[in-house]
Amino acid sequence: MPPPPILPKAMLPRWVTAAYLAYLAAPILLLLVGSFGELWLNTLLPAGFTGRWYREVAADPSFRRAFGTSLFVATATGAACLALGLPLAYAVFRARSPAVRALARGLYLLPVALPALVLAFGFILAFSSDALPWLGSVWLLVAGHTVLCLPYFLQAVVADMQRLGLGLLEDAAESLGGGARQRFFHIVLPALRHSIVSGLIVVAALSIGEFQLSNLVAGFLSRTYPVVLLQAFYGATGFACAATVILLALALASAALGAWSAGGAATLAFHRR
Amino acid sequence: MTSAVELEGVTFAYPGGKAGIFELSLAIAPGELVVCIGPSGCGKTTLVKLIAGFFAPQRGTVRLAGRDATRDSVRSRGLGIVFQSYALFPHMTVRENVAYPLRVRGAAPAERHARARAMLELVGLEGLGDRLPAALSGGQQQRVALARALAFEPQALLLDEPLSALDAKTRVAMRDELRRIQRRQNIATLLITHDQDEALSLADRVAILREGRLVQTGAAREIYDRPADGFVAGFVGRANLIPGEVAGAERVDTPLGAIATPPHGRSRGERVLLLIRPERVEVAPAPGGVNTFAVEITTDRFLGATRQLDLACRGTPLRIETLSRGDVRFVRVPPEAVQFLAAA
Repeated sequence: MPPPPILPKAMLPRWVTAAYLAYLAAPILLLLVGSFGELWLNTLLPAGFTGRWYREVAADPSFRRAFGTSLFVATATGAACLALGLPLAYAVFRARSPAVRALARGLYLLPVALPALVLAFGFILAFSSDALPWLGSVWLLVAGHTVLCLPYFLQAVVADMQRLGLGLLEDAAESLGGGARQRFFHIVLPALRHSIVSGLIVVAALSIGEFQLSNLVAGFLSRTYPVVLLQAFYGATGFACAATVILLALALASAALGAWSAGGAATLAFHRR
Repeated sequence: MTSAVELEGVTFAYPGGKAGIFELSLAIAPGELVVCIGPSGCGKTTLVKLIAGFFAPQRGTVRLAGRDATRDSVRSRGLGIVFQSYALFPHMTVRENVAYPLRVRGAAPAERHARARAMLELVGLEGLGDRLPAALSGGQQQRVALARALAFEPQALLLDEPLSALDAKTRVAMRDELRRIQRRQNIATLLITHDQDEALSLADRVAILREGRLVQTGAAREIYDRPADGFVAGFVGRANLIPGEVAGAERVDTPLGAIATPPHGRSRGERVLLLIRPERVEVAPAPGGVNTFAVEITTDRFLGATRQLDLACRGTPLRIETLSRGDVRFVRVPPEAVQFLAAA
């Protein structure tokens, strides 16, 4: 009889999962601990408890400004992705030729493969000229974020269209007498609401956390939160931790906001007669 | 009487390929149930799309209730369509699905509600109006799709393989249900299927489609008893198709041997195709007698009520269906069971 294995088979995946989760959560936990710690120098954990760092970040004008900018950019990027992405996804999905569909897919997924840095350099070249002097404006930032985030939105929505068999649902609605507008508001939008919401969550989280492009393209007054955050790490540890925790909260909150607003819009459209 | 649906010389060829619908003419009378049957890829779904208006024919005319609708949009044709995968709206309840055609027509909520209730009652789903489609069984989803397609009192009903996604038992029950509802609504219906049992049991008239062309239309019994050619005979029901050469006024030489047939009036030496339905071949106790052949069993399928045997007779396969449980060493083909088909 073979000896029993030291670790029962079923236990191994659990251990791996637990270890991975710990690895994932540890930095976030440390940030939380650090943000409330009074003093943290060369010890495993900080000493003392204080809310001072949060108060300092909240009082810092450049952080306050960046916070607002990040929220605005994320919201505007989400809106742009919705306005551009939905028709685009629809066009890709409805394209008759498989070659066109494959080409479109390759094109819209390109920004994922492209480093954001490349896009940023392109922006600097194009928009620092006298003809297009928009470098440093918040709108250029929104445009850049939209380019970076759109692929993820499209991917989510196109995949959902295929999964649902949206073409057939529309055919059915048409045969039942639904016009193009009715089909869009009664069938397309509500049927896709889950993927629209999850797409927007991804867009919001990406936009809030985006650093590479923002760092190069943002002007002094249109710096986003992550760009300003970099400065914090040259100062007190507690301050840096608190500022980072706020970024985390901001990303989560905007994701939730994106989900809530898109869900609301879809429900509204669905119940309109 | 004006036909509810009429196709005249309709042609629709897919770009490049040979696939499509060619010179197809078919009329469906009000209240009639026509079942169109053919192997996969014969153009059945294309036919539905042409009638529904999703495709426009390159030649020919589509008439609805006598009016030329060839260039009409899908919406304005007002045909009820049940899709193979039902295409129920997943985010709407059963009631909202059924009421949808009335909603887009601007009917008041109370009217929509009452109509949806009546339709759900018709298909036997009262009480399930608040469910989402995903919470229903396949057969129930099928009923919802049917109720929805009938809710706006369409001119005709198109059913594209409506039963193919159901399990065998539900399929048979739904078949009878479909017939009952179609009769009750008295609506002209075209049902598309590849299932011959479905076609024979449901149809007022069967239309056989092959490679985009109608090869025969007629009552189920007529198609079965007098198939137009070997394809129809083989597709509808089981068939022994045996090539032969006319040897006399009531005799044909075949690989089985000389077969006695009913008088046929063909000239000696003519090449013919004989059809012998398996259920008409009899088991013989002993050799000798007219059309009695020695056989060997190659496959024996016991189906409960009957037994399906694949036999070999002088190396030529012969299928029979019999009630006999014993050994089979000789079979007799009654001369009146032999039919002549045009040699393909």
